[in-house]
Amino acid sequence: MSDGAASGGLELKALTKRFGSFTAADNVNLDIQRGEFLTLLGPSGSGKTTLLMMIAGFLDITGGDILLDGSSIAAVPPERRNFGMVFQGYALFPHMSVHQNIAYPLDVRRRPKAEIERRVGEMLDLVQLQEFAHRLPRQLSGGQQQRVALARALCFAPPVLLLDEPLGALDKKLRIEVQAQLKDIHQRVGTTFVYVTHDQEEALSMSDRIVIMQNGRIEQIGTPQELYQRPRTAFAAGFLGKSNFLTANGALHALRPEKIDIAPRGKGKGANRLAGTVRNATYFGSFLKYDVSVVGMDTIEVDVDAWRAGEPIAVGTEVDLSWPDGAAVRLEDN
Amino acid sequence: MRKGLAEALNRYWAWLLLLFLVAPALIALPVSLTPKGFLSMPKGEYSLRHFDKLFTSEEWLSSFWQSAVIALATSALATALGTACAIGLWRVASRLGEAVRAFLLLPLVVPPIISAMAFYRLFVPMGLIDTYAGLILAHTVLASPLVLITVSTSLAGFDPRLEQASRSLGASQWTTMRRVILPSIRPGVLAGAIFAFIASWDEIVVTLFISKFSVYTLPRRMWNGIRENTDPTVAAAAVVLISITLIFFLAQSLIARRHRASASPGEA
Repeated sequence: MSDGAASGGLELKALTKRFGSFTAADNVNLDIQRGEFLTLLGPSGSGKTTLLMMIAGFLDITGGDILLDGSSIAAVPPERRNFGMVFQGYALFPHMSVHQNIAYPLDVRRRPKAEIERRVGEMLDLVQLQEFAHRLPRQLSGGQQQRVALARALCFAPPVLLLDEPLGALDKKLRIEVQAQLKDIHQRVGTTFVYVTHDQEEALSMSDRIVIMQNGRIEQIGTPQELYQRPRTAFAAGFLGKSNFLTANGALHALRPEKIDIAPRGKGKGANRLAGTVRNATYFGSFLKYDVSVVGMDTIEVDVDAWRAGEPIAVGTEVDLSWPDGAAVRLEDN
Repeated sequence: MRKGLAEALNRYWAWLLLLFLVAPALIALPVSLTPKGFLSMPKGEYSLRHFDKLFTSEEWLSSFWQSAVIALATSALATALGTACAIGLWRVASRLGEAVRAFLLLPLVVPPIISAMAFYRLFVPMGLIDTYAGLILAHTVLASPLVLITVSTSLAGFDPRLEQASRSLGASQWTTMRRVILPSIRPGVLAGAIFAFIASWDEIVVTLFISKFSVYTLPRRMWNGIRENTDPTVAAAAVVLISITLIFFLAQSLIARRHRASASPGEA
């Protein structure tokens, strides 16, 4: 099943959206590869949902253009863009059964009945909801509803699937399960996924590439590894994962808490070293978090593997913090 | 204990108030059963002769059917107009739209006697006096705001993402309206239709002004029955009128209750 793979390359060109004097999307340029899983990540108000709604066709664009496989779709109404969409809260039709919901896009396209039956059957298989076909949406759990929404949006083999915080309503454990399912389904259907979220874990675990957004602009684009290891700005370093910020050689650097070694005073071994005092130690099961105060600096967070570290260092202990060269990433000025 | 007492008193007052409100209407019931030939409370003897007259008299039956036709036509027209209007205003959702809404609700605020005179002045030159068309039109103007209100209430609870979902799945605006929006607001549409029917069914003020001989609705005949003689058939007609109104009202509350039941989440 790789029915979406024939097309689905999206290009945003200087895309801009203004509401009165407020600029929700500011001159955004973005190439989305066909078949890619691309995540728009940012806090609320960063413009990620605005971008998605413009791609879907529910928001008029103020400036710029949107191209699908090279041709502009800016003037095409949403119902003729042929993009699947999974909404926050799923937006399943409450008066239709699961089967009717999934069949809807084919129904409104007046496809032959046999084709609809076959296709809906395939979709029910894909999301493993065969035995729920005749239930109403309200008779399903949140995770099941989410899968119906996904099946409905993929049923007509759209070249692009847009997802607007689809996991926001699920509890944490279920969310991790559904992330894996989503990623698996993406690989099986080959459709371009454009995924909006404010959850950095979701972004890291599923995406081919992540676009970090802030104030209507793209802050940084890259693979999860690139963004995590080499954040370019303080915002990117702070939003995706946690970071300590240090000033060295006149420039701001980001240093991830897990890249710092902590040892009693005089036993530090890294190339770069700071002296501090443990102010707090918090146990999180898999890791220990120390808050270490260093004279003349903000408190530094250090994460260590709790099991390997053994006995935690007592609060008040004087320690050496150290890290290898290259662990601290030099940031651009904003 | 104190709280229990206050609650009991509260309930007592509530029932008394309710009785005060409905007693005048209920008085028609015993009066309609009087064996006498004039309006009076029956004393020990009951008779169905006035109901018999109501259902056999050509005049009363004709009025009954006329009222029914006018009320049904009014309900259909007002529901179509009120629903279209509510959806239009919902879609526009602007300050101007709210001004238009206030304007459209005016028939509810303007005293009926003023509306009646306005219809009279307007309908005389148009030749609509004493016609079905005239009465249906006038009643539609009076009843449409009721539909506007009930449908707007339904739309306020409608998730606009359902509309976006429908369109993203390839449905045109019209298909979306027919297959997603209308089914979702059906309780409001049905309630509006029933209220519109009731509004026309017992309308008297405007009817008195714009009908003469050829159109003679049930409330109009009752009005004349009381004015010209004291025939208890009027009380029998009142009982029928109230019963039908009640039936429609009960139907409306049943629909509302069923909708609430289906809207509440079931078990997974």
